[in-house]
Amino acid sequence: MPRLLASALSLRRDPRLLKLPPYLSLLCIVVGVVWLFLLPLDDYSRRTYISENALLPGQVHTYFGGSDQNVFRAYKHETDELAGKGNIEVNDKLESIAKGLGLKVGRQNFTYSSAGNTHSGQNIYAILQAPRGDATEAIVLVAAWKNVKGEPNRSGVPLVLTLARYFKRWSLWSKDIIFLFTPDSIAGPQAWVDAYHDAHDSSRVASLPLKSGALQGAIALDYTRETRFQSVHIVYDGVNGQLPNLDLINSVNHVAGGQMGMGVAIQEMWKHSNSYHDRLQTMLRGMLKQGLGLASGPHSSFIPYHVDAVTLQPFGDGWQDEMAIGRVIEGTFRSLNNLLEHLHQSFFFYFLMQKERFVSIGTYLPSAMLVAANFTIMAIALWVKSGQPEVQKVITEKTETAEEAEKLALPNPHAAMERDLFLPLVLVAACQFAGVVPLYLFNHLSESALIPAFVLFTVLSAILPFLLSNLLHTSATSTTTQQYHLIRSFSLLLLGMFLSSLATLNFSLAFLVGVFSAPLTFVRPCPNSPILKWLSMAVLYILSPTTVVFVASVLPDLDEKVGCGLGEVLRQAAFAWDVTGTYTPVVVWCVWWPAWIVGVVSVLGRPGAGDGKVKNA
Amino acid sequence: MRRFFASFLLSLLSFLCFSPYAAIANASSAADSISTSISDSRSDYHEQLILRPLPLSALLASFNFRSNTSLSAFEAHNFRFFPRSLGQILQHAGTRELHLRFSLGRWDAESWGARPWNGAREGGTGVEMWAWLEAETDEEADHKWLTLTNALSGLFCASLNFIDSTRTTRPVMSFQPEGNHIDANAANTHLLYGVLPHEVVCTENLTPFLKLLPCKGKAGIASLLDGHKLFDSSWQTMAIDIRPVCPEDGECVLQIEQSIDMVLDIDRSKRPRDNPIPRPPPAHDMKCNTSKPYHAHDTCFPTDSAANQDWSLSQIFGRPIKGTCPLTDPTVSPVCIQVPDSRIVFASEGAIEKKNPDQTSRCFDFPAENDFEVFLPAPETQDGSVVVDQHLVKPETPLLYAERSFTGHGQERGGVQTILRNPSPDQEVEFIYMESLPWFMRIYLHTISARVDGQPGKADSLIQEVYYRPAVDRARGTQLEVRMTVPPASTVFLTYDFEKSILRYTEYPPDANRGFDVAAAVITILNRDKSVGNSRFAAYNLRTTTLLCNLPTPDFSMPYNVIIFTSTAIALAFGGMFNILVRRFVAANEGPENGLKKGVNRLKAKLAAMFKKRGSTPAVMLDGEKKME
Repeated sequence: MPRLLASALSLRRDPRLLKLPPYLSLLCIVVGVVWLFLLPLDDYSRRTYISENALLPGQVHTYFGGSDQNVFRAYKHETDELAGKGNIEVNDKLESIAKGLGLKVGRQNFTYSSAGNTHSGQNIYAILQAPRGDATEAIVLVAAWKNVKGEPNRSGVPLVLTLARYFKRWSLWSKDIIFLFTPDSIAGPQAWVDAYHDAHDSSRVASLPLKSGALQGAIALDYTRETRFQSVHIVYDGVNGQLPNLDLINSVNHVAGGQMGMGVAIQEMWKHSNSYHDRLQTMLRGMLKQGLGLASGPHSSFIPYHVDAVTLQPFGDGWQDEMAIGRVIEGTFRSLNNLLEHLHQSFFFYFLMQKERFVSIGTYLPSAMLVAANFTIMAIALWVKSGQPEVQKVITEKTETAEEAEKLALPNPHAAMERDLFLPLVLVAACQFAGVVPLYLFNHLSESALIPAFVLFTVLSAILPFLLSNLLHTSATSTTTQQYHLIRSFSLLLLGMFLSSLATLNFSLAFLVGVFSAPLTFVRPCPNSPILKWLSMAVLYILSPTTVVFVASVLPDLDEKVGCGLGEVLRQAAFAWDVTGTYTPVVVWCVWWPAWIVGVVSVLGRPGAGDGKVKNA
Repeated sequence: MRRFFASFLLSLLSFLCFSPYAAIANASSAADSISTSISDSRSDYHEQLILRPLPLSALLASFNFRSNTSLSAFEAHNFRFFPRSLGQILQHAGTRELHLRFSLGRWDAESWGARPWNGAREGGTGVEMWAWLEAETDEEADHKWLTLTNALSGLFCASLNFIDSTRTTRPVMSFQPEGNHIDANAANTHLLYGVLPHEVVCTENLTPFLKLLPCKGKAGIASLLDGHKLFDSSWQTMAIDIRPVCPEDGECVLQIEQSIDMVLDIDRSKRPRDNPIPRPPPAHDMKCNTSKPYHAHDTCFPTDSAANQDWSLSQIFGRPIKGTCPLTDPTVSPVCIQVPDSRIVFASEGAIEKKNPDQTSRCFDFPAENDFEVFLPAPETQDGSVVVDQHLVKPETPLLYAERSFTGHGQERGGVQTILRNPSPDQEVEFIYMESLPWFMRIYLHTISARVDGQPGKADSLIQEVYYRPAVDRARGTQLEVRMTVPPASTVFLTYDFEKSILRYTEYPPDANRGFDVAAAVITILNRDKSVGNSRFAAYNLRTTTLLCNLPTPDFSMPYNVIIFTSTAIALAFGGMFNILVRRFVAANEGPENGLKKGVNRLKAKLAAMFKKRGSTPAVMLDGEKKME
């Protein structure tokens, strides 16, 4: 035992130990990324299962159909006549139909302004009061007049009306059912949910005239097709990468796939062969959506309020008709109606690989944590390093006087250097706070000014490191190696800290930012090797936040041929910030961008001018 | 006939019994309006069913059963119509007046208008009870209240025994006794109020309710009461009110009034019982709006014809009324329907229709032996458009609309907002708003505020008086009574904030993630018209819906995982380690002999020594026995 301790202690003083952290960091990154790629394998992912026994999905007969189809056709004629008409006119018609069904109807006006544009409209909703209920709980069925892509929800709106008429006949509902019709898919539902929980800004969003109990779940229907379909696509990503309870997705999957015999797709994987490749692709698409944190449908706004929600989109050419999707909704609502408690049994943090395979947070979280840990390891190593006298210098300075050389040749292993903290702290803090500037700019400029502002900002952010570097170099007391170590140490420490906390909230965003900023761990001032210096610079500029945003905007989308363009990306980001409260811009401009600036500054650094501190030690 | 005779004799007897209370009762002041509205409070039993069609194909059925017993007979344990089981409980618990409510569903005031009995016979969702008890001290009152709730819990198969101190309050302003008490405000009369919002009312509560009736649901209007229909209604409330009534010119009586009010959905009730599933009707049976241009054999815009349906008693309740209860007062018509006189109502043979002078209601008398049936045909319509006023009695506008909901989200704090709307164009409404909140909702009293919608300046004068009794953790709930006014034709928002406390993990119910029910707020609109014969304290009562409050709930599987994990770790690691540390290991032959062997050897030695002394043979035998062991 004592020998073991002694060897451990001697190892601690081994100078080789200080060389270890970069390799350890590299190992963390490699393991983290490889870990992610192992997840789709059978050994690491699990089959989904229904955790909440009360749900009993697919256990009831569904009766929607028959003459209800005639009613659906009639309602479809009614809503088709409204195509192209104003929001108020549409709502008048919907109100007359809903009131005719004996439902309580409420309306709500909202106005959002984002990037100089005004998004206003009027929501209309009808409450079917549970026949024997007491307004303590409610479930929501949403049909937006237009879906996320702006296509009219031609079959969805009449189908929801038909379902409202059908549900009214049942006496078994234990929860109120709210039918919500919104003019668009993001702002309308957001305004409604905010107002339902009284979290709205009453100057922009009106309060709701009618309310019911606590929302227990929501299903949105995005049914633009007018022909028969084959499968149903479940969209489940919420704002900021929050996900609905896995039980809800499983229930829909059970009802649609098991009971109704239709295909189920997720993450726009229209064909899924359940191979490793397809699973990985599904997972990566899910990660990308989660990382961006945008609202992906009318359901997204519900999830931050702990209301589990999904959007159903029928797709593909097949033989399933409107009644089939109606029955899927009926079956799902019957399941939700059974709930005695709020959905809480199953997972809230997961990746779906396929409709029936998932990995839970315990399995995937180490991946992002390892990536985040690499920055922390390096930060600690740099901190330790900054406190030690430099051995290399001692060896090169052999021409000094003999006694001095003797003194320095045997450096005391316990020797510590005084750390000069002021300059590094100021620089890192300044960079962090500078991140507020782009955050404010891109969220408050009008749409036309966004692209010029972005170009200007890209140029400025490319020049800024050079300016800072020159400032450091020409300042009265020239920056030392130790200070460069400390600058990098603080910056990496912050980055590691932010990313590891972010990983528990939004794994994908933390992972993506972590991977993009991985080079920041390894770049260092290299005054002696211009090749290395400019190579590092090239890598950093390719992986800079501005470049990544630009490339992402011009890259082809998942199923479109061309990217949506820079202006659209910036507009959407501003919209997401203003309306749904997406925090991705904060992470990009206030976490990633400052770390990147500091990284470039340290590559450009020309330390070594001042070596007086070593002697002071 | 014999039964009639017997009952007559009994009633004679009860009249002959002289009550010592009568003299005091005469001295008591103005009689309660409820008692005076009854033709004769001493008529011993009567029952009445009032049917009122409501808009949107709903039907309100109010069953009312009332029986009296003179206080002297009651004191002498002489029960006739008054149920003995209940009477003995009341006597044992020293109860002066008792009100018990079992309610389900919600009253849709927007479409159905004012509540039946002006809301006096209803409670919030779940079970609600309040009683005036006779007790010298608060502790004694609590004790009697405990006795009463536990006894009633057994009688009505409801969890009334869960009304403990945290769910009991002592309202100060909201309730006044309905009966004539000799000394209603005396120090030895205690009002206690308890509510169980989560109690689900069902058939097991109906059966004991019917058993209290003289005819037990076998005859008379009570024969319509069937659990399947009653609990399929959109709104129902069962009420039991027991109060002493002292008419000015007679003996004091103890009155028990049982009432059931229910709103039935006619469509749903008419569905046959063996086929209750609302399957889509065949296409040719659908009522379509043929005026639509797209109308075709496969396209049908449904008309709202459901609003005016025909119905009959046996369609809705599943059976006709089985005669009248022979004990009932024959002067009171057992069935009344509130429809305009212009509508045709068919009744079964032998029934006598009596139209009331108000032109909006009619009553039926029918022979005791025959089944009774009422059929209300759908009103005749001209070109499809029906004016509601013509075929329905227009629902009365309630004095106040109230809606309560939670504001805010998250598990730390929240708010409650009650929207109170006064529909009257010129009359102010003054009322008392009472909340009895569970202790884990800690309200911030300073945040309580009332504002008139659209008039920010007028907030000050709305709240006139606040009575607040703060909660004590795990011992007492919050009691909040606010006397306030709502100006005419305006909407008032009453809001306050609260903080959610964290429970101990054993305090969570099994369905912790459902949330915790918060009892309905009780709104008592004060009676301003104190003219003669209308001396009631409350002009109108209403209750808001209950709320579901989400508290921070731990992941309950986690403690179990931790317990299992640590137990395993201790069992495996600690057990082995402890053994190694504490035990001294020696070779088997070196160790001391263990207990049994030692004892046996000692016994052997003793026996050997004994037998050596005696020198007899059995020693050998014994030795042999030991060896066999």
